[in-house]
Amino acid sequence: MTEKKKNEAGAELLFADWMKSVTDFWGEMVKTEGGIPDIFGLPSSVKPKGIRQTQKSWETGSKIFQAVFSSFSSPENMEAFFKGTDTLPDFFTSVQRQAWDGIFDLQKKWMERMARIGQETKAYNFEDIDQETFKTLRKIYENEFRKFLHIPTLGLNRFQQERMNNLIDRYAIFRTSVSELLYMFYVPIEKTGAVVQEQIEEMAEKGELFTDFKDYYNMWIRILEGHYMTLLQSSEYTEVMDNAIQANVDYVKAKEAVMYDQLQKLPIPTNKDMDELCKDVYLLKKKVRELTKKLEGATE
Amino acid sequence: MSQSQIAVDLILQKITEQTEKAKSRVEKASEVLLSPLKTDLATTPFEYVYEEDRVRLKYYKPEQKKHKIPLLLIYALINRETMLDLQPGRSVVQTFLDQGIDVYKIDWGYPTRKDKYITIDDHVNWYIDNIVDFIRNRHDLPKINIMGICMGGAFSVMYSCLHPGKVKNLVTTVTPTNFDTDKGLLHIWMKNSHAFELGDTYGNMPGDLMNLGFLLLNPARLILDKYVGFFENMDNKDFVENFVRMEKWIFDSPDVPAATFQQFITDCYQKNLLIQSKLELGGKRVELKNLTMPLLNIYGQYDHLVPPQACELLTKHVGSKDTEDICLKTGHIGIYVSSKCQALFAPKVAAWLKEREGEDKADHSSRTGSSKSVSAPGTDSGKKADETGARKTGAKKTVAAKKTAAAKKTAAAKKTAAAKKKTAVKKKKTPGRKV
Repeated sequence: MTEKKKNEAGAELLFADWMKSVTDFWGEMVKTEGGIPDIFGLPSSVKPKGIRQTQKSWETGSKIFQAVFSSFSSPENMEAFFKGTDTLPDFFTSVQRQAWDGIFDLQKKWMERMARIGQETKAYNFEDIDQETFKTLRKIYENEFRKFLHIPTLGLNRFQQERMNNLIDRYAIFRTSVSELLYMFYVPIEKTGAVVQEQIEEMAEKGELFTDFKDYYNMWIRILEGHYMTLLQSSEYTEVMDNAIQANVDYVKAKEAVMYDQLQKLPIPTNKDMDELCKDVYLLKKKVRELTKKLEGATE
Repeated sequence: MSQSQIAVDLILQKITEQTEKAKSRVEKASEVLLSPLKTDLATTPFEYVYEEDRVRLKYYKPEQKKHKIPLLLIYALINRETMLDLQPGRSVVQTFLDQGIDVYKIDWGYPTRKDKYITIDDHVNWYIDNIVDFIRNRHDLPKINIMGICMGGAFSVMYSCLHPGKVKNLVTTVTPTNFDTDKGLLHIWMKNSHAFELGDTYGNMPGDLMNLGFLLLNPARLILDKYVGFFENMDNKDFVENFVRMEKWIFDSPDVPAATFQQFITDCYQKNLLIQSKLELGGKRVELKNLTMPLLNIYGQYDHLVPPQACELLTKHVGSKDTEDICLKTGHIGIYVSSKCQALFAPKVAAWLKEREGEDKADHSSRTGSSKSVSAPGTDSGKKADETGARKTGAKKTVAAKKTAAAKKTAAAKKTAAAKKKTAVKKKKTPGRKV
């Protein structure tokens, strides 16, 4: 603790010296007519209005800068500044901890899954599908990372920034959903392998092994088909598939929004422009059809 | 020392044989794959006779005309109508031509982004209606025959309910009308899915995305086993040609207009409005009771896309008293392309239409108890049923064809003349372009 205080006192002295030299430097710069080279060699009274205004702005800006920097030199502010820098490591540690917690959690789930591999495989049963890993992955993303993409954006480009953040967010969710869907398609292959192995063991015990490799393939494909049929009808699969569809829809829409921002600066019609135009044409055609029918009816 | 229970020597011998076979197959396959292959689809000659926007009408002329009333084939918006004319010897269109029928087929084309707002109403009450009017004018007839396929069948049902005066006989094949079933995966998936949003998101519903969905209905067979089968037979030229032709057809998937796709998913798959007569098109209710013309409803017992449960309720809900259900022992596509069904399906449809050629609306609506339900081929007695591969259940059937031919002919001729006078086909201008 005492060591830390000593270090802080040393740093404060060093910082005060550096602050003083910076302030002095900018003070001198302002005196040399705002650091703007006098290309015309004119006295300040006859300088064009624009140049005088620029110089004035420069002086004002420099003075504000000097004032802010001088205030840093006061002992009480210096202490506050160092407190701020003290919190930086805490901030990084906190972020790091959140990330590691997530990774450990994920690793734990994977370990649990690995431990289950050796257990008995029930054919045509998908109650024990391990979706927890993906749920955890999504939870980590949603709880720990997603919030950074939802920090309120400010300024002129806030909407563009918001759309870009939304695209990154939607892409991350889409990737997770697709991974989960692909995993679901892998599960029957894993299960079929285990079931076929069991059946071959049984056949070997009875001395009834096939002599033709095609028979093994037929057995494997039949079991695999059965597993897929069971899986694809399950509510778990339907839910995962629908999540992937929704994630895909959201991602494509987010991508379109960002594309629109970029394309509207170019002389190229965007999908949105074309859709509006097509809708107008469609409605016009419909109107013409109705009127034609009415006209035909009237003339008949 | 006990003898080994596993025939290791046999296994090794088999592996050696198979390796040799595979080597010889690969050698032959390279010859087959490098030689010219006949993989063209839809080779039966036709001419485009009408077009409007992206939609065109194909006309196939029979060598010898034996049917008075032409047949309009309405295919689904998913995949292409070329499936009905896949290849010589496996062509539904060719079979109809051989039976002497004038065949018209709607080619829905490839929708682009400008078509995204086109609704089911536009397809049914605009494109189909204009095409029907065009054919009626061309043949100077008050009514024509319609055969719908899958989603096109659902459109045909909607059209026949809204314009019953223009349809002589209706044939629906693998047509979903009852969507409230958990027998087909599509029905399960679409029930609570947000898939309807995909159309609007991508402009139209991308055909490739739909195809991916269809492959996922049975990944083991459609993504793996199918290509293993190809590998095993790639030294067989006929097999390769048929396989490639089918691949061409399967992956030739036009996009579906976003508004139509969205409406089909929400109103049909999710709300099941069609079978309840609650669907509305262009502000008009699609009442199944208005479907009073003879109806032949054919579907596949092993159809994984449109299961029998999605098809078989239709005949019980329509106003027509002359209905027939036929359940063939095949799948969704097999009805049209399997050689077994080729011999049953199209000739049966042609015969059914021929039987009803001379009758008009008054005639068939006055018939009582002529509904019949038949099922999978070759499973029961009945000479006619065996011919068509259908089993008569016998519950409520009176086959109209058994009426005495002479009486039928006279009555029909009189009625047709009267009907012709009455309706005196209005020569209506169709907005599309005669080609």
